[in-house]
Amino acid sequence: MDLEPIASEVLGELVKLGAEDASVIAAQSFERMVRFSNNTISVTKSIKDVVVFAYAALNKRRIMGSTSNPSQNALKEFARRLIESCKILDASPEYAPLPKGPFTYPTHTNYDPKIESCEEGVLEEYVKQIIDQAIKAGGERTAGALTAEASRISIATTGGIRQSDRSTRILLNQRVFVGDASGHGLACSTRLNTFNPLAAAEEAAEYAKKAVNRGPWSEGVYDLILSPTVAADLIQHVGEAASAFAVESGISFLVGRVNEEVACDLLTLVDHGVADGAVNTRIFDDEGVATRDNVIIERGILRTYLHNSSTAKRFNASTTGSAGIIDPHPWNLEVYPGRYSPDEMIKEVKEGFLITNNWYTRFQNLRTGDYSTLPRDATFYIKDGEVKYCVAGLRISDSLPRQLKSISAISKERRWIYWWEVTTPTLAPYLLIKQVNVTKAVG
Amino acid sequence: MSLDPDLAKLAVDHGLSLGADYVEARLHHILEVGCLLRNSSPEPTILVDSNGLGIRARYKGALAFGASNTLSTQSVKELVEEVVKRAKASIRLVGEPIEFSGEEMGRGSWSAEEKERLEDIGVQTMLKHLRELDDVIKDGFHGVSFTNRLLMIETSVEEKFYVNSDGAELRSRVPRLSISSFINASYNGKNYAITIPAGYSSIGESGGWEVVKRLDPYTFFREEGSNLAKAVKSERKPPSEPVDVVLGPDVVGLVAHESSGHPAEADRILGREAAQAGESYLKKDSLGLKVGSSEAYVSDDPTIPHSMGFYLYDEEGVKARKRRLIEAGVIKEYLHNRATANVFSTKSNAASRSVAYNREPIIRMANTYVEPGDYSFEEMLEGIKLGVYIKSFMEWNIDDVRFNQRYVGLEAYLIERGELKEGVKAPILEVTTPKFWSSLDARGKDIQFRAASCGKGDPMQGAPVWTGGPHIRLRNIRLGAR
Repeated sequence: MDLEPIASEVLGELVKLGAEDASVIAAQSFERMVRFSNNTISVTKSIKDVVVFAYAALNKRRIMGSTSNPSQNALKEFARRLIESCKILDASPEYAPLPKGPFTYPTHTNYDPKIESCEEGVLEEYVKQIIDQAIKAGGERTAGALTAEASRISIATTGGIRQSDRSTRILLNQRVFVGDASGHGLACSTRLNTFNPLAAAEEAAEYAKKAVNRGPWSEGVYDLILSPTVAADLIQHVGEAASAFAVESGISFLVGRVNEEVACDLLTLVDHGVADGAVNTRIFDDEGVATRDNVIIERGILRTYLHNSSTAKRFNASTTGSAGIIDPHPWNLEVYPGRYSPDEMIKEVKEGFLITNNWYTRFQNLRTGDYSTLPRDATFYIKDGEVKYCVAGLRISDSLPRQLKSISAISKERRWIYWWEVTTPTLAPYLLIKQVNVTKAVG
Repeated sequence: MSLDPDLAKLAVDHGLSLGADYVEARLHHILEVGCLLRNSSPEPTILVDSNGLGIRARYKGALAFGASNTLSTQSVKELVEEVVKRAKASIRLVGEPIEFSGEEMGRGSWSAEEKERLEDIGVQTMLKHLRELDDVIKDGFHGVSFTNRLLMIETSVEEKFYVNSDGAELRSRVPRLSISSFINASYNGKNYAITIPAGYSSIGESGGWEVVKRLDPYTFFREEGSNLAKAVKSERKPPSEPVDVVLGPDVVGLVAHESSGHPAEADRILGREAAQAGESYLKKDSLGLKVGSSEAYVSDDPTIPHSMGFYLYDEEGVKARKRRLIEAGVIKEYLHNRATANVFSTKSNAASRSVAYNREPIIRMANTYVEPGDYSFEEMLEGIKLGVYIKSFMEWNIDDVRFNQRYVGLEAYLIERGELKEGVKAPILEVTTPKFWSSLDARGKDIQFRAASCGKGDPMQGAPVWTGGPHIRLRNIRLGAR
C-alpha cells in the first residue's frame, strides 16, 4: 500500500475542512510471530495493519485521532468527524503551532528486506533451532515468542513536511526451565545478520541450570548487580520521567531538576531517534520534526526534558523531536558504557545479589520515585566477591532517584533490551547499585 | 459502522476449503473517545476508530491467528491463505494436537444495557463534565494542594460479528465509560502523586451515557479527594508486631484478581504464557487444593449487568456463566477456553476474550471478586485490640506464579480497641497467596467494584475488567513500612 498519498490526501481533507494546523501519519505494519511453550509451537500469528493517525488544530482547538479503516471514503469521514468534533471544543491556551520544515533527517540501516519478506516456515525453522539449542544446553522445557516485524510510515504536515521511513526488527523472548528453576534470554535486532537467537537460548538454559540449587537469604540492604535486562527496565522509567508532559502533570521525580545532579557522575543517558540496532527507529517525530540524539543525563546532571512543540512552548524551550502530540517520549535509550566487566563487578560486592531478570515494577509515588519490582528467573547470592548460590522470592523495594545516585559501577558490555516488560528499547549495561532495600513476603 | 457478515462467513468458508478443520472469523469494531483535562486546560481530544477482521484456523492440530484491517474480498482471502499456510508450516513442531472441547455454540445477538448511546454524546459534553470534576478537587482539601491534575474520561463502543465453523454466529455491542485521574498532592513541601480512584484504577461501567449518573463522579471525587488528602499527611508507621488487618474493597478486589483469578487461568497452568505473563503456582491437578480459610470465596462472573468485563458469549461462541474459583478456601474451578478445557477433559467456561480485531482470543478474567459475607464494617473492627485498616493502595506487584505479592496502602488507619484512629503511612502487606487466603476470617456485607485494565498476551492485550469485593479481615499479619 502506498502510504504517502494517504497521508497527503487526509492532510488535504483536514485543511479543506478548516484545519489551520495538521499532521497526518500513515503507518503500515506486518508482524509475524511464532509462540512456543513446552518445547512445541502453540500458535503462529500474522497481523497486518494500516493505521492513519491525525492531529488537527482550528482556532486553537486541538483534536487527534486514528482510524484503521484506510478506504478513501472512510478516511474522508474520519477527517470530517475530527474537524466537526474539533469545532465544538474550547480553545486551548496550550496551543502551539506545528513546527515548519524543512528539517534534515537522519539516515539509518535498520531495515532488512529479508525480515520483511521472510516466508512461512522461516520463523518456524528458527524456533526449531532455538528449542533444540535450549535442550542441548541442558534445559528441560522452554517457552517464548519469536517476532519479525516490518514497518513503513509516511508523514505529511501543514509545516511543509513530506517524509517516509521504513524499519524492521526481529525479536526473541525466551525462558528455559530446569525443574521449577528458570533462565531468561533475549535477542533484539533490526537485521537478520546481527540476530543471534541461539546465544540467547543457550544463556537462558545456562541460567536455568545454575538456578536449580537454592540457598537461604534474609531481608535487608544489599548491593545489587542488575543485568542489562533489569537495568533497562529501571532506565525506561527514567526516560518516561524525563517527558515534559509527565513533569508538568506532577508524575515525575525529575520535576524542577534540570541542570541538577540526579544520578552518580558515571551515568550518561541519551535518547536516539536513530541508532544502530535500535528497534524503535524513527527519523521524524509525530510533528514531523527530525529526531535527534538528546542527552537526558550527562555524567549525572539532568540536561533536558523531552519536548514536543506544545510542551516546549510552555517550558520556554525547543522541541527535542520527541512528539507524541500530547506526551513527548523517548524513542530508544542508551546508557553509556563503563569500565567494568560483570566479573569485576561481582568482585566488588561484599554481600549482595546478581539479578538477571525482573517484572512488575510499580510505583507508590511517581513524584518521589518510590517503587518495588520483582526479580524473576535466576537470581544469585554474592558473598565476598563470589557468586555462592541461587535464591528466590526477593523483591526490590527502593527509590529510583536514590538508586541513580548509588550506581557505583557500569559495565563495558551492553545489550539492546526490548521485550514484554521493557517497552522502550534500551541499550543497557550491567549496573552495580549500592545499598538497595530487599524484602521478602511473609508466610 | 456496519459489520459485513458475508466477509466473515467468506473467511470461514475459504479456510475450510483450504483444508483447515476449524476456522473462526471475528469482525471487531471499537470506537473510542478520550478527553483529557490537564491543570484545567484541555489536551487534544482523542478519537480512535479501530476496525478489522481477526481469524483463527486450526489445521491438523496446529493453530494460527491472523488479522487485517484491509477488508476487501481479495485481501480477506489472502489473509486466510496466509493463516492456513502458517498453520501447516508449524505442524512438525506442534506437540499434542490442539483440539477443542465440544460445546453448544451460541447464535443470535446480545448487548450490554444502554439507555443513552455514547455515539450521540458530543466531546464538549464530556469536557464539560471534566471541568466540573476539576472544580470539585482543584482547591485541594485539608490544607493539601492538588497542584497538578490530569483528569480523563474515556468511552468506547465495541461491536463484533463472530462466526465459526462449529456453528456459532453472534453479533454483540458493549459500550463502556470510565473516569480516572492523576493528581500531585502537595503538603508541607512534600509531594505525593496519587490517583483518584487510588491504585491507578478507574470508576467505570458498561452502558451508555447514563453511566455518568450512576457513577456520580462529583460525590466520588469530592469524598475520595478529601480522604486521600488526609492520607498523604499521615506520618505514623504501622505497628511492627503482627496485627489484625482490615482491607477495603479496592484492595480486596485487586487481590482477588491477582492472586486468585490469574493463577486459575488454565493457559498459564499449562505453561502457554510462561515467557510473558508467567505460569501459576496451581498445577493441573490442584483442583480441590485447600489454599485458604473457610471464609475464602472468590468468583469471576462476566454476566454482571453494568460491569466493565460484561459479556454473554465469549470469543469462541460459548455461553458465559459465573465461575467460582475458590469455595470455602478450596480451589474449585479454573478459567478455560475450548483448547484448555479439552486438555483438562472438561467443558469451556467461556473465558476466551480478545480486545481487538488484531489480537488472538485468549483466556481472560471478566469481573473477579471476593463474595460478600455477613459482617458490618463495625462488627469487623470489634475485638481488634491493635490493627490497621488499609482502605486503598497505590503500589502493588506479584510474582509470575502468583504466589508472592505485595500491596502498599495509601489511605490507611490505625485500629485501637475496635475504633479507627489516626492515619498510617504506606503500610506494606507482603504475603504469600496461601498466607493471605488462610488469614481471612470475616467478610463484609458490602461489595464494591473498580474498573481496571488487565494486561496479558503477546502482543499485549489490556482487557477491561472489574475487580471487587467487600471489606475483609485478616488475622495476625506482620506489616512492613517504607
